[in-house]
Amino acid sequence: MNNSMIIGQYVPGTSLIHRLDPRTKILVIFFFVIIVFFANSVWSYSILTAFAIGTALATRVPLSFIVKGLKPVWFLIVFTFLLHLFVSRQGDILFSVLGFPFYEESLIQGGTLSLRFFLLILFTSLLTLTTSPIEITDAIEYLLHPLKKLRFPVHELALMMSISLRFIPTLMQEAEKISKAQASRGVDFRTGSLKDRVSAVIPLLIPLFVSAFKRAEELAMAMEARGYQGGEGRTKIRALLFRKKDYIVFFLFCLIMAATIGTRV
Amino acid sequence: MRTYDITIGSMFVALMAIGANITAIAPFLSVMGVPLTLQTFVAILSGLILGKKRGAFAMFVYTAVGLIGVPVFAGFSGGLGSFVSPTFGFVLSFMGIAYAAGAVIEKRQAFNRYVKASLAGLAVNYLIGVTWLYAALSLWAGEGAGISYTAAWASMLPFLLKDGALAFVAALTAVRLEGSYLRNTRWRQHQKQASST
Repeated sequence: MNNSMIIGQYVPGTSLIHRLDPRTKILVIFFFVIIVFFANSVWSYSILTAFAIGTALATRVPLSFIVKGLKPVWFLIVFTFLLHLFVSRQGDILFSVLGFPFYEESLIQGGTLSLRFFLLILFTSLLTLTTSPIEITDAIEYLLHPLKKLRFPVHELALMMSISLRFIPTLMQEAEKISKAQASRGVDFRTGSLKDRVSAVIPLLIPLFVSAFKRAEELAMAMEARGYQGGEGRTKIRALLFRKKDYIVFFLFCLIMAATIGTRV
Repeated sequence: MRTYDITIGSMFVALMAIGANITAIAPFLSVMGVPLTLQTFVAILSGLILGKKRGAFAMFVYTAVGLIGVPVFAGFSGGLGSFVSPTFGFVLSFMGIAYAAGAVIEKRQAFNRYVKASLAGLAVNYLIGVTWLYAALSLWAGEGAGISYTAAWASMLPFLLKDGALAFVAALTAVRLEGSYLRNTRWRQHQKQASST
């Protein structure tokens, strides 16, 4: 549990997709999400589907992980399709099964909606499957840099994300320890009415919050003692670098975008 | 932002992750088989203790951490796919909760102010969460084929009792923390000096 808290959905690997710069992956996904809404013909959908499935295969992430990532939305995909099939009745009757008519327009509408949905979820899940949260955080800091002009605290956002990643497992253990310590003092968590149990939360949470505040104070002091004074002029331990493969991926993706727009009707 | 604002904000993000999955640590916190989450509770405290801006920003960071794939949302879920979940509105509402609670408490501090601030947070929670739920359901199901807006509200009403109780406990916790530990921190003393000059 604690391990999964740090790495998230990330599946370590050495495929080309894993080794791409995280900024490349985020940008490609960003434009993919937009381009999916441009597709409106059989060809354009085929190109995007082939591209998404090809990329998914290229990650060499075991299929079971990809399916697991899609699990919460399978229901929505199927549900959208069925609903359009049975509820909305538009277009000509295509065929009927046991006296139940299937309408052409509804079939197409339901099909494209759920395909769109599937493509979006599949492709965006590839980011978190092949990129560790820390890498994504670094990329976000870089990509959102222009927002600094609008006084949005980009550096603080990235720093807070990395600090919280580091402290989630620590505080989790802390909470477990406190819960056991209070139980050994005789706090009864297990019985009683809802009101009793909700108020049993207090001896669990107050020490947890105090411990979190203490850690925050110690960390702030340690950071300032080492000369931290905001993001200005700070250098990075993990520098991001666009390489040849990133440029090739950008080029290929531009071709895909052009092909998708070219095959629209 | 001062360094301490950054570190304490990060701690609130971590506390949110724990609050979302508190039943992993404290399995007794299930109400009739439904695991209780303390996300609203921590979000309210974030607003009460950090103030409206910093509190809301901490919740923004929490949302971002969840969206990049760290399982910090309820039921150890996370990832960009959460965005399409019908209950994602509740995640979005945490920013609003912290802002509302912070805005109420920043004006004046007294025990009943803390309770009012918590209830303001709770109101924002339901308003955003239920509206999103309704919008998501009618979007997937098609116009009119889904449930009505009133039905969406009715489906959430059973949870109101427990959330109301937790909001009250949040106010109580905030008062206790302010009165004991926080009062003596360098951070609060700095803030006091800054506001008195």
